[in-house]
Formats: sequence, structure tokens, C-alpha cells
Amino acid sequence: MTTDAAGVTDRQARVARLRRVAPSVALLLVLAGALLIPIAADDPLLRLASPERSRVDGLRAAIGDVPVDGLVLVALDADLGTYPEIRATTRAALVDLAAHGIRLAFISFTPEGRAIAAAELDRLRRTGVTPAPADLGFVSGSEAGLVRAIASVLPESAAGPIADEIDARGGGLAAFDLVLVVSGSDLSARSWVEQVGPRLPELPLAAIAPTFLEPELAPYLVSGQLTALLATLREGVTYAEAIATEPGDERGPTPGALAMLIGMLAALAVLGEAAARRLTGGGRPV
Amino acid sequence: MSGFASADLAGTLATWVAALATIGVWSYLVGARRIFALLQYLLAGLATGYLALLAIREVLIPRLVAPLAADPGSHLLLIPAAGLATLLAGAAWLPVRATTPATAVLLGGLAAFALGGAVVGTVLPQMAAALPEGSGSPDQLGAVVALVITLLVLLGFLHGAPLGGLTSRAATTGRWLLVAGIGGWLGFLLASRLSLLVDRIGFLLGDWLAVLR
Repeated sequence: MTTDAAGVTDRQARVARLRRVAPSVALLLVLAGALLIPIAADDPLLRLASPERSRVDGLRAAIGDVPVDGLVLVALDADLGTYPEIRATTRAALVDLAAHGIRLAFISFTPEGRAIAAAELDRLRRTGVTPAPADLGFVSGSEAGLVRAIASVLPESAAGPIADEIDARGGGLAAFDLVLVVSGSDLSARSWVEQVGPRLPELPLAAIAPTFLEPELAPYLVSGQLTALLATLREGVTYAEAIATEPGDERGPTPGALAMLIGMLAALAVLGEAAARRLTGGGRPV
Repeated sequence: MSGFASADLAGTLATWVAALATIGVWSYLVGARRIFALLQYLLAGLATGYLALLAIREVLIPRLVAPLAADPGSHLLLIPAAGLATLLAGAAWLPVRATTPATAVLLGGLAAFALGGAVVGTVLPQMAAALPEGSGSPDQLGAVVALVITLLVLLGFLHGAPLGGLTSRAATTGRWLLVAGIGGWLGFLLASRLSLLVDRIGFLLGDWLAVLR
């Protein structure tokens, strides 16, 4: 009798556990299935790209203003956690810059950014981008390091034609025609605006940032302290689509529209269920 | 394809490790907490090792030790810097009084850069940008609406203060506007975070299983 009761309890516990984990696992499987369904990027029903293109046009114009053979500094300080959101946008920008014949140099002021920059530089080397971007390495000191870079951005180990050109132009941040800041939480484009902007007002600053930084950075775009800003997923997808020329390149995938739609609907369902439970339980007024 | 891993053996190995780590983290969803904890330790250990390596290879040796060893006479400022760095490194064993100067210099420097930059780079330019350009400015209506919303939301924070009927209604309106703003922002963040999950699934299907192109 006791054994039977224990067996029933065990079975009930297993069923309860299965019920608890089933929705999460089912969502993962549904999202995976949705990713496997081919959907055209320009499908009118499932478009991730934003119809509002002013920011995309702003970044394209900023890159278009850089002279051929110009120098652009890519300040890669994204977070490991949120970089996938802006990876496609960043790679589209690198493709855009390369298409304009612009020479690139990479620098990082955060350890996480340095890890991502090293991986991106390795990827670019494998894809045979010419001229190979200069690696200016990691600069410590956060904002103090930023200010120090205004005078000298070249590490002693830097060599090659791009490093020589930077040196010939003074060796500091003023040597560049544009800085593209790939932002993260530790050191965002705000630090560039605050530390570099007042000291080098002629240096255009463009930024690519994950969504959570949009409210922080948008005022700088309105005030003109940032030349261009892409800071939401939809803007990034719009830009990546605008740059796209060939499918299957190494820009990294933009998230599947159907999977995103299903995920958003699932999230809304969870929110709705929580709100309904709160309302029926007599939630507090705001 | 994320494009990070190369097609050689090292790249394949990296993809497998990343895929298994991803599945290991997701195993938390089905209650496999030990695997999740193990991967947390792995992440913490890797991050610590990476930071130590970065600090030694890209900061301490090339910017402190090497210049001092090569030509100490022309890098005199690095000598007190080395002393302060040593004090901070030994903070766990030294009395607080001994490490206070190093901490003070560190915090003072950070605060000076942050505050100076905030005033010169944010507060003053943003105030200038917020000033209306003229009565005919097309953005003026938007600016007035923004001002009204800001005032209402600020009133919404007047908790506990005695409020009149009109002020109380304005404060309630401000709180609802705040909730609406946060709700709108939550939608953006939801899409943002969801894209990270979709990216990981895409990595498993594309980079690892090669069933997604």
C-alpha cells in the first residue's frame, strides 16, 4: 500500500515536472521549426525591416562622406551577451565600408569588446578582405584610455600600410575620417560623445548599438553629436537588407521573421496570462 | 551562419563546444541544474583567465614593465604608477590605510573623467539642443508635448506629499504615462532579447547541424 502510494506520488511529480518544462521546450522546438521554414526577406506579411529609413540613410550617408582610401576606426566595444543582436548590422557596415574602398582599423577599450574584435578580425582575414584591417588592440583605462587615444592610438607593435598612414596623419584619433562605435554597456557611444566629441569636434562619430542603449544614445543623434545611429533590431535588419547583395555571405543571419513573430506572440500570451491572473486576483492600481 | 568558426578542425571543435555549452545551459529548463552550474563555473573561470591574460599581455607588460625596463629615465611617471598598481594588487593582504591612496587616485581619476565628460559632452550640449530654435520651428509642438509629459511623469514621483485634487490627477496621469513608456520599451527589449534566443537556435541549426542556410 505504501509502495503504491509512493509510486503514485512519483508519477504525479514526474507529470507535474513535465507540465512545468513542456512549454519552454515546446517553444524552443517551435522556434527551431519556424527558422527552417524559408521566408523571403521581402515577404510583405513578415517583414522585420523597419519602413522608417532615416537612420539607415544617415549611416549610409556618413559612410558615403568618407573619401575613397579614407580611414575609419571601428571601435568594437560590444558585449558578448548582446552582440548577436547587432552582429548582422556591424558586418553589413563592414561590407558597406569595404565597398567604398575605405581602410579599416579596429580598436577596443573593453575586454569583451577585444574578444569580439579579435574574432571579427580573424573572420575578415579568412574572408580575404583587402587591405587587411589594422589591429590597434586593446586600450586599458576605459574613459581615460579614450582620452589618451586622442593623442596616440597606435600600439608599438602596430605595423603595415594602414598603421603607417595613421602615423603620418598624426597617430591619434584625428587621423580618422570617421569612427564607427559598436557599443555595449561597459563603454558605449556616450563615452565617445562625452570624452572625444568636445576634444575633436570635427571627427564624425557613428554608432551601432543594441536596443537597450537606444534611449541613452538617441538624444545625441538629435543634437548632432552623433552623425548616425542604428540602435534597434528593425533598423539593423533594414540596413543589412539595404547593403545585401549576395545571399549566404558572411554577414551573419538576421533573425528569422517567423520565429520572431512566434516568439513575440508567445511573450504576449505570457504577459496576457499574467495580467489576467493579476486582474482576477484583484491587482493593485498603478 | 555566425561565421566565427573556421572550417578546419579547430573551428569544428569550437562549434561543437559552443553547441554543447548552449544545450547545457538550456538544460536548466528541464531542471538539470548541475550542468548549468558547471557551465557557470566554466564561464567564470574562462572570463577570469581571459582578463588576467589580457591585463598581463596587453597592459602590464607592454605599457608598464617593458617601458620601465627599456628606458626608466624617460618614463618617470610609470614608477609611481607601478607602485600604485602593486598596492592595489596586494590590497587583500595590506592594511586599508596603505591601499587608500591607490584607491583614491583610481576613483578620483574615474570620477573626474566621468563628471567632466558628462557636463561638457552631455549636459551643456543637450541643454543647447533642447532650446527652441524659433517660433516657427516644426519640432516645437513635439517639444511642448515632451515637456508636458516630462512634467507629468515628474509629478508622478511625488509620493507621500500632500497633493490637491488637480495635482493628484496630474500625478496619476504621469504614472500611467510612465507605465505606458515602460511598456513600449519592454516591447522593444523583448524583440531584442528574443533575437538573441533565435540567434542561438540559428547557430545550432546552421553552424552545428548545417540544416539551415
